[in-house]
Amino acid sequence: MSYFGLDRFFTFLKTIKNYGGLKASLYKIYRMDSLRPGTLVGTDKFGNKYYENNAYFYGRNRWVEYAPQYGTDYDGSQVPAEWFGWLHYKTDYLPSQDAARPKYKWMMEHTQNLSGTPGQFMPYSTTQPKVQAWVPPKK
Amino acid sequence: MLRTTLGKVLTGGSLSPKRVTAVVRAASSQTGKKPEQIEVFIDDIPVKVDPGTTVLQAAAMIGIEIPRFCYHERLAVAGNCRMCLVEVEKSPKPVAACAMPVMKGWRIKTDSEMTKKAREGIMEFLLINHPLDCPICDQGGECDLQDQSMAFGSDRSRFVDIDHTGKRAVEDKDLGPLIKTVMTRCIHCTRCIRFASEVAGVDDLGTTGRGNDMQIGTYVEKMFLSELSGNVIDLCPVGALTSKPYSFTARPWEIRKIDSIDVLDAVGSNIVVSSRTGEVMRIMPRVNEEINEEWIADKSRFSYDGLKRQRLITPMLRDNTGELKPVDWEAALLTVAKQIRNAGSSIGAVAGGFADAEVLVAVKDLLNYLGSEALCTEHTFPLDGSGTDLRSSYLLNNGIAGAEEADFVLLVGTNPRFEAPLLNSRLRKAYVHNELDVALIGPKVDLRYQYQHLGDSPSILQQLANGQHEVNKKLKAAKKPLIIVGSEVLARPDGSAILAAAQKLSASTSPEEQNWRVLNVLHKVASQVAALDIGYTPGVDRIRELNPKVLLLLGADDGAIEKSDLPNDSFIIYLGHHGDHGASIADAILPGVAYTEKQATYVNTEGRAQQTLVAVSPPGRARDDWKIIRALSELLGAKLPYDNLNEIRDRLEEVAPHLTKYGEAETANYFKQAQELSKGIKTQLDNSPFDVKLKELSDYFMTDSISRASPTMAKCVQAVLKQKQSKF
Amino acid sequence: MLPTLRTITNGLKRSLGLRSIQTTSVVHHESLFVHRDTPEDNPDIPFTFTTENKKRAEAILAIYPEGHKRAAMIPLLDLAQRQHGWLPISAMHHVAEILNLPRMRVYEVATFYTMFMRKPTGKYHIQICTTTPCWLRGSDAILDTIKKNLNLEVGETSKDMQFTLSEVECLGACVNAPMVSINDDYYEDLTVQDTEEILADLKAGKKPKPGPRNGRFAAEPLGEPTSLKGEPPAAGFGIRPDL
Repeated sequence: MSYFGLDRFFTFLKTIKNYGGLKASLYKIYRMDSLRPGTLVGTDKFGNKYYENNAYFYGRNRWVEYAPQYGTDYDGSQVPAEWFGWLHYKTDYLPSQDAARPKYKWMMEHTQNLSGTPGQFMPYSTTQPKVQAWVPPKK
Repeated sequence: MLRTTLGKVLTGGSLSPKRVTAVVRAASSQTGKKPEQIEVFIDDIPVKVDPGTTVLQAAAMIGIEIPRFCYHERLAVAGNCRMCLVEVEKSPKPVAACAMPVMKGWRIKTDSEMTKKAREGIMEFLLINHPLDCPICDQGGECDLQDQSMAFGSDRSRFVDIDHTGKRAVEDKDLGPLIKTVMTRCIHCTRCIRFASEVAGVDDLGTTGRGNDMQIGTYVEKMFLSELSGNVIDLCPVGALTSKPYSFTARPWEIRKIDSIDVLDAVGSNIVVSSRTGEVMRIMPRVNEEINEEWIADKSRFSYDGLKRQRLITPMLRDNTGELKPVDWEAALLTVAKQIRNAGSSIGAVAGGFADAEVLVAVKDLLNYLGSEALCTEHTFPLDGSGTDLRSSYLLNNGIAGAEEADFVLLVGTNPRFEAPLLNSRLRKAYVHNELDVALIGPKVDLRYQYQHLGDSPSILQQLANGQHEVNKKLKAAKKPLIIVGSEVLARPDGSAILAAAQKLSASTSPEEQNWRVLNVLHKVASQVAALDIGYTPGVDRIRELNPKVLLLLGADDGAIEKSDLPNDSFIIYLGHHGDHGASIADAILPGVAYTEKQATYVNTEGRAQQTLVAVSPPGRARDDWKIIRALSELLGAKLPYDNLNEIRDRLEEVAPHLTKYGEAETANYFKQAQELSKGIKTQLDNSPFDVKLKELSDYFMTDSISRASPTMAKCVQAVLKQKQSKF
Repeated sequence: MLPTLRTITNGLKRSLGLRSIQTTSVVHHESLFVHRDTPEDNPDIPFTFTTENKKRAEAILAIYPEGHKRAAMIPLLDLAQRQHGWLPISAMHHVAEILNLPRMRVYEVATFYTMFMRKPTGKYHIQICTTTPCWLRGSDAILDTIKKNLNLEVGETSKDMQFTLSEVECLGACVNAPMVSINDDYYEDLTVQDTEEILADLKAGKKPKPGPRNGRFAAEPLGEPTSLKGEPPAAGFGIRPDL
């Protein structure tokens, strides 16, 4: 079979099946520009899914599939801190496996970088406006 | 007080050289023979001068400027700063150039070793007690002492105060909300004292103590409150008197200076608007001998902070709930255009005090196209007789500078001190230096000079017109009589009768000169003369008769017309720059620009067209007034034929050529014809006494939408009221 | 007091090698040249001339021609000071009113002349001259005597409002140094004993005889004349013979 390259074809079919059919797979390609088979190693609290496939070479073998609610508007900062290390090969431990990971009450909830969105931080001006507008009297 | 001594100047009163000059000149003109000129040499340059000319004046004639602190052209000579010391050949000591009249054949050396040494020495003495706080001083950068110590001072100091006993320290004075004092910086030039006493006529400043302990001040706790008080800031050669609202806000080298015209009264004082980063930082006077000399009134100088408050910065429309909501220009103009189209020719316009000639003519063109003639000014003027057809009936015909030469002035129902402070300063100047006699019909007000109060009843004017009053003799005998009628009394129902009486009275005088114009009308607002020139109807009566469906208010904020005067379904458009009375009754607001933000034409009360220049850009979405009208006309299908300033000025020239002859006062005539026409007036003088609105200093500061929005002006009013409680 | 303190502290600092810091400026004159309302001196206290002084004021005013009435300001202020003992602000206002002048013009004059006392002054105003000739002739001892006798410092007024002590510059009686001026009278050629006598007389309500205390009539030499004793030389004295 491998002689004809049919195994690849079957892998492809299997992957499509894994992803839930042709339509879902096309959407995935549209969204992520690739369709890769991989093992789901975990899901964070935002719903991002983390995959690993060691058949790919180092550097491409771990990836994240952003949670569906982000649509195409995903961003690297949506990966929370605990998964960041694993995704960037700082560690090979998954967050669930790493006992030494600090966890304190005061640690903040992860938020994505809001720059360029309506929620971005804008410093307010402390100088008085040069011209004060007239406010019509209320009736 | 000044005057009594001056009157006796010939019999040996105080003889200052300046006054001697005046006396000598007067004497020579009486005999009709020109005094022989004497020749002196300044730095070996020969110059021929009249006898009595001071060394300093003679040097100025050939362009040599002698440094000075206390000397000022418009004030009496004090001669106490000694900075103007120069060497005169064969004189053992240097002489004070400002106070010393030249003698025949004098050789004056303004650049000799002795002169230089004298200047250096004086500068050193002045600096002994002058603090070295230039970095925190508001005068820094435009300080006479700074400049002159650089130019004439020594290059090293001998002031080595090893014991740190300190320089002289003087406590600061509270001169009110306009003038900040740092008296330690004072060099005792006494310019402020002389200004207060000679020009402003408020003898509140003086020197107390003597020698090293001398200070300038009021001695008692009293503020220096006058309508001209701000001028002492310009006069002060050091940073002792600086502007309180301007303090610590800007430096002279950061500032952009734009020449402009003041519009807060009808005088049209020439001003310099200083701006930085799109903000007006201060307003200072500009020399114009024909109008304001080099003074300006406090309202003109300090109400600029009103330009930053209560501004209309976006178009507004009244929504269904009856509230004004900000909208964009498109929506505002479309709504306004729709309303105007629905109204057809039932549209009127009322021009307020700040409307410039450009917008006045644009509105007139637009309304005429729409078929309406209801163009009115907010301030009334009698229409009977010749009405506003003859310019001479509504101008200050003899000019502002002309008031200085008068020898008898009759004021009718006006308080020039607050309606036109700079005209009043001219009258006071004539009173002090020229033996002017003033009589007044109207409420008894304080003009800061003595005058004969004839009463406030119109019957006195009637008596005068009929020649039955004792003052008639004086008027007849006067060589240069003036009759100044306030615009406020002319707004009375019997205004035309008052004007007719004044015309009759002025015809009965016999001025010496052919060109002397006796009858003068003093307006209160900057727009009035231009509006009447363009052909606006004075007064809003026509609007009341017409009941227009759409009313356009051009910055009309004095409440001449109320919403209740109009039908319920009428639509009021306000085009102006301040949210004041007019804006609050409007259904649509089109934000215009104030006088510092536009290049526009104004005609002052003497008929002199002048233009303001753009000092700062308009705030927010505000636009040039005439451009708004031009845009509106396009939506109405009546596109006005001018697209830029030059084109609208061409149109102005078509309407009235003098409107673009900037700087020139277009004189008017036809007094006789006006008087002939006024004979047909049937209105009788009624018996209610003449009244003026601005009686006291506290009334002066807040009179229009700009000054009403100004916090500084509000502080001034508070200060005046506080001063009234004081026992001093 | 304050300058002394400053000198001491500055001296200390210099000896310790410390840099001085700027302190408040020297007060140059003991009186203020601005008005401060006090219970004794405020514009609410009425002041008018007495009937007698009114006549005097009219006589003073009559001296000056019309148009120059303001020249009567100094005599009128002096009259007011003599009536009241010192010159309160309401007196200045009254003078301004009489002369029809702005009040400031009166303040200027009243503050310029040191002989107008603008604060409460005792019945006897002792002005002691300490300028060079008097100082050389022992005015320090006289001043000390007065201070000790009256328990006053310079510039102070006794509590019973009887004495005010001032130190003044030359009063023009150098030939009779040392001297004090008490109100309008000069007491000259003083010794410590003379001073004590004068003060005792004043305390007792008597008026000591003014003038020199050492037997001189005026400024003539004490005892015999020492110069110009002979007849004056005739005309031509000391002229070159060839002229």
